[in-house]
Amino acid sequence: MKKILINDPTLRDGNHAVKHQLTAQQIAAYAAAADAAGVPIVEVGHGNGLGASSLQVGLSLTDDATMLKTARKNLKRSKLGIFIIPGFATINKDLRPALDLGADVVRVACHCTEADTTQRHISFARGQGKEVYGVLMMSHMASKETLLDESRKMESYGAEGVILMDSAGAALPADVAEKVGALVEKLGIPVGFHAHNNLGMAIINSVTAAQAGAVILDGTARGFGAGAGNTQLEVLVAVLKKMGYDTGIDFYKMLDAADLAEKSILPMIPTIKSTSIVSGLAGVFSGFAKHVERAAAEYKVDPRDIFFELGRRRAVAGQEDMIIEIAAKLAEKGKKN
Amino acid sequence: MKSPQNWLKKERKTEIMNNIVCQDCENALAGKTDLLKALRNETVLITGGTGFFGTWLAEMISRLNDVHKFGCRLVLMARRPNLFHEKAPHLAKRPDIVLVSQDTCRLMELPPETSYVIHAAASPDSRLHASDPLQTIDTIVNGTNSVLAAATRLPALKKIMLVSSGLVYGAQPWEMPAIPESFMGSIDCSAAISAYVEAKRVSETIAAAYRSQHRLPITTVRPFAFIGPYQLMDRPWAINNFIRDGLRGGPIRILGDGTSVRSYMYPGDMAFWLLRILVDGVTGRSYNLGSPAGITLKELAEKVAACFPKSIDIECRFLTNEVARRSRLVPDISLAGQELGLSITVDLMTAIRRTILWNQTVKSPVENELIDDRV
Repeated sequence: MKKILINDPTLRDGNHAVKHQLTAQQIAAYAAAADAAGVPIVEVGHGNGLGASSLQVGLSLTDDATMLKTARKNLKRSKLGIFIIPGFATINKDLRPALDLGADVVRVACHCTEADTTQRHISFARGQGKEVYGVLMMSHMASKETLLDESRKMESYGAEGVILMDSAGAALPADVAEKVGALVEKLGIPVGFHAHNNLGMAIINSVTAAQAGAVILDGTARGFGAGAGNTQLEVLVAVLKKMGYDTGIDFYKMLDAADLAEKSILPMIPTIKSTSIVSGLAGVFSGFAKHVERAAAEYKVDPRDIFFELGRRRAVAGQEDMIIEIAAKLAEKGKKN
Repeated sequence: MKSPQNWLKKERKTEIMNNIVCQDCENALAGKTDLLKALRNETVLITGGTGFFGTWLAEMISRLNDVHKFGCRLVLMARRPNLFHEKAPHLAKRPDIVLVSQDTCRLMELPPETSYVIHAAASPDSRLHASDPLQTIDTIVNGTNSVLAAATRLPALKKIMLVSSGLVYGAQPWEMPAIPESFMGSIDCSAAISAYVEAKRVSETIAAAYRSQHRLPITTVRPFAFIGPYQLMDRPWAINNFIRDGLRGGPIRILGDGTSVRSYMYPGDMAFWLLRILVDGVTGRSYNLGSPAGITLKELAEKVAACFPKSIDIECRFLTNEVARRSRLVPDISLAGQELGLSITVDLMTAIRRTILWNQTVKSPVENELIDDRV
């Protein structure tokens, strides 16, 4: 039976959906439930990863160390995963302490054309004997050839797999098949895929990735994640099971974990709001949604216009300050008209 | 200010390092020093002189001078020779070794007394090749051209050795047990990741052109894989990772199903082979440099694990759903054996044990402990 390695970032990507306000109690409860279900990797942290708590992208309610300690305490079978973006996270300030606190799996992420920024972090984590993956975010913004070049860099740095992230939920199944397939054909390491559901494609895109040869898939309980949410994990586990893939996850206990997440973590079930559809169409990072909604309300402009302008400017994560500028300009333009 | 304890500790480390490597050199030279007598009282210049090859050659020539009175003078050329004082202080302070700061790409002339040149300047680190392919090409192609152009003006030149790469053959066919020098492989020249290999291929062509147009006496070596002292454990190569994992107490992780085949030469043998080929290698000939003893990565991991006193787990992380992407990289060394009588004298188990011993006593298990706070 074909195997799929499931990485569950409910407690990391989901933090976006609650403005990084996950509590230690919530982390403990879900980590224990995911562990009981046999989820292979449970990823924990600020939505933008370790060290990202800031005024610009949002302050965490719970600090990184507490999050990791809490999760570590509640994970017996599952591996504890961390997500880092060089720039937010530094090796000495964030990565080294996280490994000391017991992180097993490190995913080092960057914009899909900037793999060079990950070399030191990937090499350091490998040097510490950890399981390390490279992550290329906003993968809809680059061709398969560019993604292959960047993935090869990560492979040379020591990444044990490369995960393509459809951070904006902009990809269609044909895009996924083409890009994942190209990487699977040329790389010597496993390929993974992380979906967002802005255009309602998260499940089919994840399944398409698996059919194209991806062996690592991300999914979150009830799809808890940035923007319109991620691939709904319990559905993904069910679909993969029906298609003959082995995830090693106890299906009933996975359902229990998702029920628990809905009851104790999610303020609301992720839905595909109008702004999320627009962000997917515009190809803008899902994590921008809260900032866009806030700026639109403050400047009394249409959030859809902000998204399309962000898309036109090819804005990427870390450029959140652009949202205010665009909102202000749209407001000014509105006054003139 | 350095404390007396730290100073003593450093001295002790240097002593251990000397003991291990000196013994290795002596073993490699045993009964064979006459084969290298052409080097007596000669000046040998090595570009990339403070790297893995240069350091081992410096160790070997030091031994030839100290014990066998060769009177050989060694010029180590490198972009940052100062680092050599930290890496090998016992070599850096020797009167018969001269360190020269020089980027080979911008080289205009070589010391006129130079009689032997070993051109080894190029990093084999695949991370650098991937991140900066243009710099990689520049170093190898322009560096080779500069060195050979300068060599045409040497009045006492006797021989040049070009250090190429075993990767110039491209992918080794699975059904081919070992690659002979005559194998004409192919590389995907449209991929940036091919920069290192294509540049090495071009460097061989440049050498051929200098032989043809300037009658330079150039012999080429194509190195494969090595394991031993002075090799950095943070390099992303299988055996380095296995030993590093073992030094950390495990588990040893294998990427793939463990059926890929590699072979490893101990640097004591490597250094002797290099000098032997330098002296008597046929001009215009290319020689494979490596071990012909292929071993699967799974077997290799088991051998590494067996070298540690406590039990170490081995994880085979075979995740791909397709047929295993196994590969083989093993040289055929019969040419060096037939023409120069060269053979492997250190078996793999001994090589692994000595590498572990050296890393336990001399080097920190992790090479990259010092990280800039900004990264």
